[in-house]
Amino acid sequence: MAESSQTGAHSLATGASEPLVVCEEVVKVFGKLCVLDGLNLTIGTGETFGLVGPNGSGKTTLMRILAGLVRPTAGSVRVLGRRMPEPAVAASIGYMTQLSALYLDLTARENLRFFCSIYGLRGQERERRINEILERVELSASADRVVATFSGGMRQRLSLACALVHRPRLALLDEPTVGVDPELRRSFWDYFAQLNGEGTTIVVSTHHLDEAARCSRLGLLRFGKLLACGTPQALLAEAGTNDMEAAFLHYAARERRKEVTA
Amino acid sequence: MSGARILALTTRIMRQIVRDRRTLALVFLVPLLVMSVLYVVLTGSSGSVPTLALVRPTGAGSETLNALIDRLLPPASRLKTITIAAGEVESVLNKGEADAALIFPADLATQLARGEHPRLQLVLEGSDPSVASAMRENVTALVRQLDVALAQAQSQRGQGQQGAVPPVNVLATSVLTLATPRYLHGGPDYTFNDALAPVFIGVFSFFFVFLLTSVAFLRERSQGTIERVLASPLSRGELVMGYVCGFTLFALVQAVVVLLFVIFVLRVHYQGNLGLVFLVAILLTVSGVNLGIFLSTFAQNEFQIIQFIPLVFGLQVLLSGIFWPVAQLPAWLQPVSYLLPLTYANEALRDVMLKGSDFAQIAPQLAALLVFMLLMIGLSAVTVRRQVA
Repeated sequence: MAESSQTGAHSLATGASEPLVVCEEVVKVFGKLCVLDGLNLTIGTGETFGLVGPNGSGKTTLMRILAGLVRPTAGSVRVLGRRMPEPAVAASIGYMTQLSALYLDLTARENLRFFCSIYGLRGQERERRINEILERVELSASADRVVATFSGGMRQRLSLACALVHRPRLALLDEPTVGVDPELRRSFWDYFAQLNGEGTTIVVSTHHLDEAARCSRLGLLRFGKLLACGTPQALLAEAGTNDMEAAFLHYAARERRKEVTA
Repeated sequence: MSGARILALTTRIMRQIVRDRRTLALVFLVPLLVMSVLYVVLTGSSGSVPTLALVRPTGAGSETLNALIDRLLPPASRLKTITIAAGEVESVLNKGEADAALIFPADLATQLARGEHPRLQLVLEGSDPSVASAMRENVTALVRQLDVALAQAQSQRGQGQQGAVPPVNVLATSVLTLATPRYLHGGPDYTFNDALAPVFIGVFSFFFVFLLTSVAFLRERSQGTIERVLASPLSRGELVMGYVCGFTLFALVQAVVVLLFVIFVLRVHYQGNLGLVFLVAILLTVSGVNLGIFLSTFAQNEFQIIQFIPLVFGLQVLLSGIFWPVAQLPAWLQPVSYLLPLTYANEALRDVMLKGSDFAQIAPQLAALLVFMLLMIGLSAVTVRRQVA
């Protein structure tokens, strides 16, 4: 409790003095199911942090906790120096959900306009940002079409645009490349690199292990536990392999041995 | 609470409603169609047993007259009767204890003995035209029979012969005349539709707003947009407010359309304060929006929402006094009626449009609607919180 009152003293502006995201012994239980099991994790400003793990490993739950949508059962989560869930942090976070999560009966521009407005953007500034991001995700030509007519890839691009249009300091991207063709996947990752270069911290979850190499650091997640955490190179070196899939299996096997001996 | 964020949500909802042309057309046309059909179908018949209050003759020689009246009254299965004092007529009718009062002159016996032609007065409550017209028929028949019996008694006395005068002749020279009935509310040209039309405004605004909100909110969940919205600075209170504003505006437009149709196309009689009609519509709509948000969390898809319609709507149509008064329901069902918002809305809308009641007169109903509305807002606020475990 003493610790949280200390962190409460941090203002959002000076949050840079500590890592952007700090998770300590985070536990989340849904009914009888333990989804996150004592997770410790630190993500620094300016990182592109990859959460890698199979389905059901707890990636989405961790994302939702970081977005302030779920309260952890135990442990503490601090984002931008504030203990989550904290509404004041919401404006600095951009959250791209796993589903494309768009209003299908509205046009791309109307979707962006709505999300801009609830993040407090208005008037000329709002329209400028919308045009800019439409350009970036290459949807300018389809901006005034109803989203229901969009292809899967277009929806995914618009979904990304909606999460980033208010220029968040922390972008939480939950499996942004699921069901996306290889070409678009590459352009997404190029865009992430560009964003990161502009100072946005990115937390991205994926189960495409080949994407992992483009992250500055990785957290390998399985059954709600962090198997390992580090730069892609360090993780590969420690596992003694140059294949991320083999490395993941190596750390999973190590965890099983630990459980047996415990 | 940020007005700009609520406005953003309200704008989005209005835009979505307007975008869906087919739903829009149905929502505005279906009420007009249903009302038109009902207008044609309903001809003001109702199977209820009305109550007649009698102000009996009390002067000298009244005992035999009262015995005669009792003998001639229709069976209780067709007409219930109660006896009241002359001064109680309006209060008994206004309290709903009787549908009409038949006033005999206190000195009826004396007038008859003098060979005068006494006048009886029928007073009708009148806000239910079908009851009023049934009552007129009943009383006219009763007075005729009484007339025949009295004429026979007179002719017997006068000529000392039994049954010498046929009833036809007696009718031609009536002893009694029934004055033109006096209506406290409504009038002889009111039909059942006049009593039904005010209710439609409440029914349609509640029903469509409930349906549209629950589907809209369900979509918000199934499309995942609620996650996005709740991860933004928009608070839960603002979310509920945005929904309330968007759908209430829409429902008021609908109420105007229904009202204009009722007054100018169906030419329903009406004498009330439009502001009060809209006040009832607003209270009901806000309840409907929040009930929609609340119930949508118990549905996994649109089909399951449809299952809620009989529960939310069917029950209310049957029990809220639309087609038959709540007072005619079985005693154990009546408390259920008073848990339903439409019961209060119907009472208030009828009082305003048929009797021209003012704010103070419908204040109890407005208070009940307000309580229900606050309860629904509370429920929906709790569910929105729970959606995000």
